[in-house]
Amino acid sequence: MMAPLRFRGGGFTIQPKRHTGWIAGLAVIAIWQGASSAGWVSPIFLPSPAGIAQALADMALSGQLWRHLAASLKRIVAGFVLGGSAGLAIGLALGLLSHVRAAGLPIISALFPIPKIALLPLFILWFGIGEPSKVATIALGVFFPMAIATYSGVDQVPRTLIRMAQSFDVPALAIVGKVILPGALPGILAGVRISASIGLVLVVAAEMIGAEFGVGAYILTAGNLMRTEDLLAGVCLLSVLGITVGFAVSAAERRLLGWRQ
Amino acid sequence: MRLLSIAAALALLATPALAEKTSLSVLKLASSGPVFLAQDLGHFAAEGLEVEFKFFAAAQPVAVAVVSGDAEFGVTGLTAGFYNLAGKGALKIIAGQSREQPGYKLSAYMVSNQAFAAGVRSPADFGGRSFAMTQVGSTFHYMIGLLAEKKGFDLSKNRLLALQSIPNMVSALQGGQADTAILPSTVAVPMMDRGDAKIVGWAGDETPWQLGALFTSPKMIDTKKATVERFVRAYKKGVAAYDLAFQKKGDQAATDKALDILARYTEQQKGAIAAGLPYIEPEARFSARDIAKQVAYWQAQGQADKSIEAKDIVVTTFVSSID
Amino acid sequence: MRLIVEGVGHRYGALEVLDGISLTVAEGEIVAVIGPSGCGKSTLLGILGGLLEPSAGRILTDGAPPAGCLNPFTYVFQDFALLPWRSVAGNVAFALEHHRLTAAERERRVAEVLATTGLADFADALPKQLSGGMRQRVGIARALAVTPAVLLLDEPLSALDAQTRELLIEEFLALWPRHRTTAVYVTHNLDEALRLADRVCVLSRRPGRVREIVAVDVPRPERDGARLASLRDRLWRLIQDEARAADRERQPEILDAGDHR
Repeated sequence: MMAPLRFRGGGFTIQPKRHTGWIAGLAVIAIWQGASSAGWVSPIFLPSPAGIAQALADMALSGQLWRHLAASLKRIVAGFVLGGSAGLAIGLALGLLSHVRAAGLPIISALFPIPKIALLPLFILWFGIGEPSKVATIALGVFFPMAIATYSGVDQVPRTLIRMAQSFDVPALAIVGKVILPGALPGILAGVRISASIGLVLVVAAEMIGAEFGVGAYILTAGNLMRTEDLLAGVCLLSVLGITVGFAVSAAERRLLGWRQ
Repeated sequence: MRLLSIAAALALLATPALAEKTSLSVLKLASSGPVFLAQDLGHFAAEGLEVEFKFFAAAQPVAVAVVSGDAEFGVTGLTAGFYNLAGKGALKIIAGQSREQPGYKLSAYMVSNQAFAAGVRSPADFGGRSFAMTQVGSTFHYMIGLLAEKKGFDLSKNRLLALQSIPNMVSALQGGQADTAILPSTVAVPMMDRGDAKIVGWAGDETPWQLGALFTSPKMIDTKKATVERFVRAYKKGVAAYDLAFQKKGDQAATDKALDILARYTEQQKGAIAAGLPYIEPEARFSARDIAKQVAYWQAQGQADKSIEAKDIVVTTFVSSID
Repeated sequence: MRLIVEGVGHRYGALEVLDGISLTVAEGEIVAVIGPSGCGKSTLLGILGGLLEPSAGRILTDGAPPAGCLNPFTYVFQDFALLPWRSVAGNVAFALEHHRLTAAERERRVAEVLATTGLADFADALPKQLSGGMRQRVGIARALAVTPAVLLLDEPLSALDAQTRELLIEEFLALWPRHRTTAVYVTHNLDEALRLADRVCVLSRRPGRVREIVAVDVPRPERDGARLASLRDRLWRLIQDEARAADRERQPEILDAGDHR
């Protein structure tokens, strides 16, 4: 007796679905707006998407949007460059030098989990209430994940590549520049992705210190005044910044890490 | 049959009814004294209320807790955020609490040592100086606004530093990063004693105003009016006890006892409490005119929505206005 | 260049891996080193090229390196050790970049070795785009680019499949007479050793000692299964018992041995 073989495979593989994400996002916003318009959700508890859009539009038209964005971006970029390059240098040292690793890793592990907000009063004493304390807050938040990502990235570089370079008498500095740094780049870029997000999170904390302008200051003031539309409009700005940074890092990964298997 | 039901009804009346549960969001500060006294002296219980206290660290969450329904009543300082919530029809002021009043050392005008050396010696010199406060729209923000109005300086020339917390303000003042600040006496006096900054005056002496209030949600007034009435009655007895103990000061035993109670609830030293007790109107009345002035001020500053009507926020049926 | 090994021994902590190895590799000779796994073959190769310091004994050289030699002792690695972010030409150039060469000279060397190894058309390809055999051709091209005095080949074909291995042996046999570079070829494959070597050095199991050095006295072009059968038998008998005993041993933990990554 002949029977067709029963197919048992398939499923359990995730396929990219391009439009589903957009449709789901739009559906959530539509349901949310519908519930608000129908009066099921009190605007005190959750403002409507239209209300948030209105707040964003008001901000853009009054010119405040650019002022807040520019102030925050300046701080984020400065903090990210300072904290990121320090983290890169320390991470390299942790990855390459036995003594630095033995001394530094416990210190970093001890300091990493400290909530930076708890240190704000100290930061005010050390750096004042101008830009330095805000940049320092972001820099400190960026430093630790960057140092740890770089250090583990260096650890990921196959030792045979280093031995190979030594076997060709390549000078130590050139080994760091041509073998270790490019080899650690996947780890470093993962660190950039995480620490850029942390920088965005910390801009709110940084702007707790007497900031007049900035997305974080705007969110804080909106919260203090219980203006929930403005609050969520500010949060939307941060999300947009976060998504932009995510795309930028992905683009950098595609360009710089095309050599990966 | 009828006899039986009458008997049952009588029995219900005779046995003390189960106390009705209600809740109050509140700060652990001496300004909350009346509710602590009302609780401890049994005034709430006498009204058949079992009040659960929900403690918060800042004025904002106290108001939010009432809006969200986590507490049925709240008592705290009035901020721009409070008015924005109230303006959306979520809160109603039903009785008065603390007031800044001449002779009462509640909020201190403070000057950093550096600014003091540079000649900032009195509240009149605050014009053009950087000023540390907790938040935009806070009571501190309002008080510097009142001071500017009284002394005739232009507040827009002051750098207002919203530092989000009192420890941050203390740091800024200590380090001289902020020239001036207004701080509660419990923080200001120890700072002065340590030599970290100078007190150059008291807000009560310069600009008296209605600082705090008892409030509830409109829904409570609509659906549980009797409960609100009982609560306010007990609250007024607490205020009277506060007045007797700290403002009339006829009875030393009552003062000592009240101080003990406040120390227990606020977890602060009796000395510190006694030094920074606010004035509270003896009949728990408040100034509706002052509330209207505050709303107008915040609206003019752009911190409160233009649509807010002060008269919709206050309810004078439980306690009458002073005005 | 002649290579003289005098009483070389090596230990990793308490673990003795090599003991009293003495061996002379004549100019232009290919010596294969075979032995059971864990006998210290790769360790010996690491010592020969100066990547590992022997615990005992010494290595001497006799004679001048060939004209144009940039790196007298040059390795070809089992896992190819290619920089994955560099093209084929870039990987070859890596061995030259730190030497004082004119750009033209560097390009000439790269082009020449790519041509001799049949990689000219793949100069711009990344390692991930190449088969295993092509990758090892890059490894060989890189080694030839520095005109070595002694080639040190560490199981260069063991990561490849049988057909590819056969192809590469034939290419190597065709290429080698041009330069007649002195070579030490570590392998665990008897046939590779017999096809390529002038002499086969058989090591005992750990600690590795020289059991016997067998000359392959059949000219390379005439080496086929029949001519080598008796020699193959003899070598197999020599290592059979050692291999069996080594197979049943517990594996010790060796830190930083040549073929442990």
